Amino acid sequence: MNKNKIKNLFKRKIVVLDGAMGTELQKRGMPAGVCPEIWCLENPHIIEKIHEEYDQSGADVVYTCTFGANRVKLGQYNVSTVVEMNRELALLARRAVGNKCLIAGDMGPTGHFFEPFGDLAFENAIEIFKEQVRGLLEGGVDLFTIETMMDIQEARAALIAIKEISDLFTIVTMTYEKDGRTLNGTDPVTALITLQSLGADAVGCNCSTGPEGMVSLIAAMKPYATVPVVAKPNAGMPELIGDKTVFTMGPSEFAAESSEFISIGVNAIGGCCGTTPDHIRVLKEAVAGKKPVAPVRKSVSAVSSSRRTVLFEKDRPLYIIGERINPTGKKILQEELRQGKMARVRQLAREQEKAGANLLDVNVSVSGIDEEETMKAAMNALSTSSTVPLVIDSANINAIETALRVYPGRALINSITGEKKKVEKLIPVAARYGAMFILLPLTDRGVPETADERKEVIRSVYTQARSYGFSKDDIIVDGLVMTVASNPEAPVETLKTLEWSARHFKCNTLLGLTNISFGMPQRKWLNAAYLAMAVGQGLTVAIANPGEEEFMNVKVASDVLSNRDKDASIYLARLAGSAHDEKRDSLQKSTAVVGEIYRSIIEGNREEIESILEQAVNEGESAENLVNDRMIPSIKKVGELFDSKEYFLPQLIASAEAMKRGLAYLDPYLRENQSDLKHKGRILIATVKGDVHDIGKNIVALMLNNQGFDVVDLGKNISAEMIIEEARQNRPNIVALSALMTTTMVNMKKIIDVARRAGLDCSFMVGGAVVTASYAEEIGAAYARDGVEAVKVADILIRKARKK
Amino acid sequence: MESLNFFMSINIPVPTKDIYRRLGYRRGITQVNDDIKREIEDAIEYALSLIHLTGAGVRIPIEEIGQFKIVLSKGIAFNSSGLARMLKGCSEVLLMGATAGKDIMETIESDSKNNRLTRGVILDAVASEMVDASLDWIVDYYNGQLRRENRQLTKKRFSAGYGDFLLENQKVMYDVLKLGTLGVELTESCMLVPQKSVTAVAGIMG
Repeated sequence: MNKNKIKNLFKRKIVVLDGAMGTELQKRGMPAGVCPEIWCLENPHIIEKIHEEYDQSGADVVYTCTFGANRVKLGQYNVSTVVEMNRELALLARRAVGNKCLIAGDMGPTGHFFEPFGDLAFENAIEIFKEQVRGLLEGGVDLFTIETMMDIQEARAALIAIKEISDLFTIVTMTYEKDGRTLNGTDPVTALITLQSLGADAVGCNCSTGPEGMVSLIAAMKPYATVPVVAKPNAGMPELIGDKTVFTMGPSEFAAESSEFISIGVNAIGGCCGTTPDHIRVLKEAVAGKKPVAPVRKSVSAVSSSRRTVLFEKDRPLYIIGERINPTGKKILQEELRQGKMARVRQLAREQEKAGANLLDVNVSVSGIDEEETMKAAMNALSTSSTVPLVIDSANINAIETALRVYPGRALINSITGEKKKVEKLIPVAARYGAMFILLPLTDRGVPETADERKEVIRSVYTQARSYGFSKDDIIVDGLVMTVASNPEAPVETLKTLEWSARHFKCNTLLGLTNISFGMPQRKWLNAAYLAMAVGQGLTVAIANPGEEEFMNVKVASDVLSNRDKDASIYLARLAGSAHDEKRDSLQKSTAVVGEIYRSIIEGNREEIESILEQAVNEGESAENLVNDRMIPSIKKVGELFDSKEYFLPQLIASAEAMKRGLAYLDPYLRENQSDLKHKGRILIATVKGDVHDIGKNIVALMLNNQGFDVVDLGKNISAEMIIEEARQNRPNIVALSALMTTTMVNMKKIIDVARRAGLDCSFMVGGAVVTASYAEEIGAAYARDGVEAVKVADILIRKARKK
Repeated sequence: MESLNFFMSINIPVPTKDIYRRLGYRRGITQVNDDIKREIEDAIEYALSLIHLTGAGVRIPIEEIGQFKIVLSKGIAFNSSGLARMLKGCSEVLLMGATAGKDIMETIESDSKNNRLTRGVILDAVASEMVDASLDWIVDYYNGQLRRENRQLTKKRFSAGYGDFLLENQKVMYDVLKLGTLGVELTESCMLVPQKSVTAVAGIMG
């Protein structure tokens, strides 16, 4: 069926889709655990009847029963005749409804995730789906529907598969979790931006939830949709009744809740799990005569990652593309890329994202590497570790195409110039994958010096892009920054180009800002000044280093002054706090000077405890007094605060670490005065053999050390024999053992038994996640729940031993 | 038996409340000043850069459920009365596993050794909560698929070492889920390494 006929159908009416298939098949006798597709071919009269009933209830479109008819799913039932099966099921649907109803070839997920989110190759996914598409085409479907997709990348694979061998109308609907995102974190707007730019003819949601829960998802999409939006909710939420899962929402309630979709502009509506022909009948009545709301936009200026969308809108704060993922001048990055490693790429991405980059430029061009493969690896690495959309920066057309194919979002290409080869080859590639691109007004003759020459290039490239369906929303014009060091006129010509592009040509604009200062000293001042000037001329996006503090401060200031940060909230959030910090820091320093040792330990001030103690010592305080009168009471207080839950673990440890640093600082003074802290006793501590969990044990050791015990820490995974041997040599008062697993806990008993037989009379103390007080008693040991309790228990054990 | 599914990049929201709770925070009681709050936030951010969540899942038909023993297809068997009670009425199980990867553990150990224990305990809490939340993610993934079959997973799940489902069953879980593919090893004492790795069994009802 001609795509335009279906587009016209969507213009004329709210299209009614069919309802559930799976639940209908089960009601009509399909047993659990069988392959639905095989069962349908074995029982054609049943599936034909379901199709007929949906047709008769008023559905404009019925879906073929091929949801799981892909190689992966069918392979679980040892079926390999994918093409034939899809063809037969499509023909079966046609026999049922004739030409009265449109037949949508239904394609569901394979049940696997594809790279970068899963272990299967992306190209494999496309081939798997192409096989199914061929069968459905042979069966004469009128359109395709890709549904119940949890993963944007799998949805992309199915859509690419259809587009590469067919030009039929394609609906894509995703399924969302309670938080309004797919399992991989894609929100509805992001899915919409990605899929409609890639060529989906209608986008929406199915399954997920009942009508009420789906309204907000559709409402979020509609303002940004350039294609019809589709809703196919379940008959409410499933309930477990006995051992059966049941959808309890009846047809009238379903239709009543679905009426909200009409008011928010849904263009096609049907039902998913639990819905029946009766649900569709009542739905049909509810939408009859209602005028559809056409897409409000023809284009949208936006790029997406798998988890986030960046909309380029006028009067929004300047967008920053982080420039640091570029191997030029970066030896470590160059070396890692040569070795195929992505750790540094990920780190640069994280740092820039944290510093406020809205997008990340990705350039992996290093001599001697396969740039296509490296770019693909970078896309995969960043798609999973970074949330912001990516800018594909390469002079290699194949590398750009490879990246666009695998990137699970809508990318921005950096860049397409006026060079003949670039225009001829890259514009079609950008169109194929629905990418936005940066239009850089270079030509085969080089860099046009004047703004007037650049305007001509911009107009020419745009004209050619329009023939591929691009609009001004799909391009960002680069004003072309050249260094002031080589041409003093260059900054002005760029600003003229910028101003014309923003205010007369009316498109988004971009500058690679830091180029302006290349070769000049103190580059940051030129960069910051040029930034402010460019924002004043309407700049939309800057490629820069978001970690440069002055640059970002000027950016937020420029946004306020150009009324893009309307209530100065971003400016205040970034800069108002820093004055407060300076004041606080100076206050802290002055109180440290007067020696607030007790408070420093209470507050866990590890950074300044040494300088505070130094001050106190210089003022004549004895080290012993400092420890006994100030520090030990403070750490005891911390223990009390922890016991009462006014302090939790990070505060306890911070205080303990401050205490430890303080004790280490005072140790030479204590020795000098021959007033070594009298140790309360010696404790040997270890995590038992087979167990490598030691963070709990380390906390206990720290607390005991701070409280005056001499702690000998043997480490983790320590055999009984070694513990006994060390106990013989060190003659501890207490042996403290830690275990986190039921299989290793048993070693505690073994150690105690061996120690007793060997005549060791030390006490034992045990702890760990699986250890209980009753187990400790059973094996003849004391029990300590945590580090604070360990100190108390140790005190008690040593007092008892001394009394004996 | 369905094929084993690997999830090579599990993305979940940061379970901040759970992380605070694991660190002992009690709402209305624990007093947290700006400094420690900032330190915790920085440590959480750092942990996220080190954690790489991956997982695996597989559905296996149940052949027999006795009072103390569950027999699955391919000769897999578990002995546990608690697990048998949970699986009553189920026709399949889902075995699942997840790991936070080795980078986070290496950093926790380094912090423990190098006087950065405060950060170490926060990283440890983040990793523990994230890997538990990964199992919730895997459950959501399979529930999404099962919805179309009119089925769902049991709300409860069992991990090896829980009740009478002994830790020794970890070996079966490790082998069936092929956790070695995710860089996880199993020690002689049935401990998964890196330590922030978990497995669980849930039933499929309906």
